[in-house]
Amino acid sequence: MAADIFLTILTVVFALMVVFSKKTVVSAFALLMTLLSLAMIFFQLGTVFLSAVQVLINAGAIAILFVFVMMLINLEQFPNNREKSKVKLVISTFTMLVVLGVFALVINNNIETLSVVNLTDNSMKALFDKLFNAYFLPFEMATVLLLAAIVACIVITTHEKHENEEELQILKTEEKL
Amino acid sequence: MSIYYYLAAFLFCLGLLGTIFKKDLISMLLCLELMMGGVALLFILFSKSTGFLDAQLMVIFTMIISACEVAIGLSLIIALYRKKQTIYTDDIKIITE
Amino acid sequence: MLEAMIEILLKTVVILALPLGALPLIIHVERRGAAFMQRRLGPNRVGPFGILQPLADVAKFMFKEEVHPTHVRPFFYTAAPMIALVVAILPLACIPVAAPFEAFGRTIFPEVFRSDMGIFFAFAASALGSYGILLAGWASNNKYSMLGALRACAQMVSYELSLSTSVVAMIFLYGTNDIHVMIAAQTGYWFGFLPKWGVFLQPVAAMLFLVGIFAESNRLPFDLAEGESEIVAGYHLEYSSMKFALFFMAEYIHMIALSALFIIMFFGGYSLLPGMELIVERAPILLAVLQVTSLIIKIGCMIWFFVWVRWTLPRFRYDKLMDLGWERLLPLGIANLIVTVLIVYFRNQ
Repeated sequence: MAADIFLTILTVVFALMVVFSKKTVVSAFALLMTLLSLAMIFFQLGTVFLSAVQVLINAGAIAILFVFVMMLINLEQFPNNREKSKVKLVISTFTMLVVLGVFALVINNNIETLSVVNLTDNSMKALFDKLFNAYFLPFEMATVLLLAAIVACIVITTHEKHENEEELQILKTEEKL
Repeated sequence: MSIYYYLAAFLFCLGLLGTIFKKDLISMLLCLELMMGGVALLFILFSKSTGFLDAQLMVIFTMIISACEVAIGLSLIIALYRKKQTIYTDDIKIITE
Repeated sequence: MLEAMIEILLKTVVILALPLGALPLIIHVERRGAAFMQRRLGPNRVGPFGILQPLADVAKFMFKEEVHPTHVRPFFYTAAPMIALVVAILPLACIPVAAPFEAFGRTIFPEVFRSDMGIFFAFAASALGSYGILLAGWASNNKYSMLGALRACAQMVSYELSLSTSVVAMIFLYGTNDIHVMIAAQTGYWFGFLPKWGVFLQPVAAMLFLVGIFAESNRLPFDLAEGESEIVAGYHLEYSSMKFALFFMAEYIHMIALSALFIIMFFGGYSLLPGMELIVERAPILLAVLQVTSLIIKIGCMIWFFVWVRWTLPRFRYDKLMDLGWERLLPLGIANLIVTVLIVYFRNQ
């Protein structure tokens, strides 16, 4: 129980840092710490495989992508004096409170049924038996989705570079002439 | 264990707040990741309380989808930065101009 | 409860302190090896064969003035070396140094973190390895450091793909994630003399993994992150004295951890070296000691291999490095994975 509360506080602190920190790089590292503490929670809940995957994919690859892009763009060149729209703040806080209230109500009403542990077989083998039998089609579709995402990224980011290359080619041929 | 339900709801809502409230696109994507984290936690809790492993598979799918989303989102941000030299949502108003 | 805690503490101290204690020796081997390759003498003044030179270096590092530049980002500048070192040590927690043995009326697993998917956790921990470097480069607020960090990060992320394809192929082949089962499958001999090591089953995967660990630990021929002739010293340009030494230690410990993983998957981990069975037959009590010895000897060979390659091959050009990673190694790795999966499928039929 103490471990639960400690992990919860850790996650909440880092999550608050993600949203309310002024520097975007700090929020990216706070997100990394949030993901790592979520991995710890997964481990605490007994889903060992998912915690390893969380560290490997979310913390090891996705968060690195964020930091990488931030460093490519160099966020500090933008002046930090944008006007803050009060309407946006009010609307977002209101939305958050409403959604959180609904969630809290639902959880509060069902807390007895929700906190019962019914999971018996938690092994990786059972998990993948299910994945490769009942969920085979969604799994294949997810792989196709990943492939499409890779292709999309390459197409989106290399478009302009391609034009430059063409210009370079033209310049080169002109030089030769 | 029940405290984690509130944590998951809180993470989701905090991500929602940030997504609406933040001004640059990268921070918005970061907050989306936060929401994804909350959803993944909630799936694992459901799998524990209902006893179905399906919910844990959903976590794997969530991770795949968030990976795709981040990759495409970041490449869009880079493409936008190359064209407009900005990543702030206020500056992107091609339609209204 | 108390016994378990003492056991975990002892294991942590012993297993994590061993590589740290071996660091001066490794650095000495590296410097003497470099001298040997280049036909010069190398450090030979302090102590017999210059063996105390690394200790003198440590003392020098400790008492040097710590220059703290004014243009850096202070928090991350200080945190980066620590993160680098801690993250480099993490994968060591999953690496067993001997087979489980009975002692004091209980089974002792000689690894800090016992899990039936240890190999997964080791790689998850080593996937975090680029954060220290990336943070150092960014916090230094210096164009050369930044370039070095970006190079290191892109290189690590790209080579991690080919590395993981070879790991997945080995997991398929052994049919397990458990490091102990994996090593048990590699114990014994084919035809009476050839050890059942994974490298003979999967030479392609072994090659991919070997190239991958050179890129992951930023060693020559892939040390683009600190190419001193192009970007001065890369990510640790602004660091001095002990902070610089921490990066140095992180690099060597990362090297040790990755070689240990390589040995676990392709050279039988702690399984006995050929010839050691004769000793075990006479004195079974020595089994665990001999297993630790074999693991240390194997890691020592790997370290020597690192030194050998470092002073033999020149540095890659950056675009060639990326081409090698994405256009050669990744397709090779995927092809190897597909062939392995097919073989395993038809073998199990």
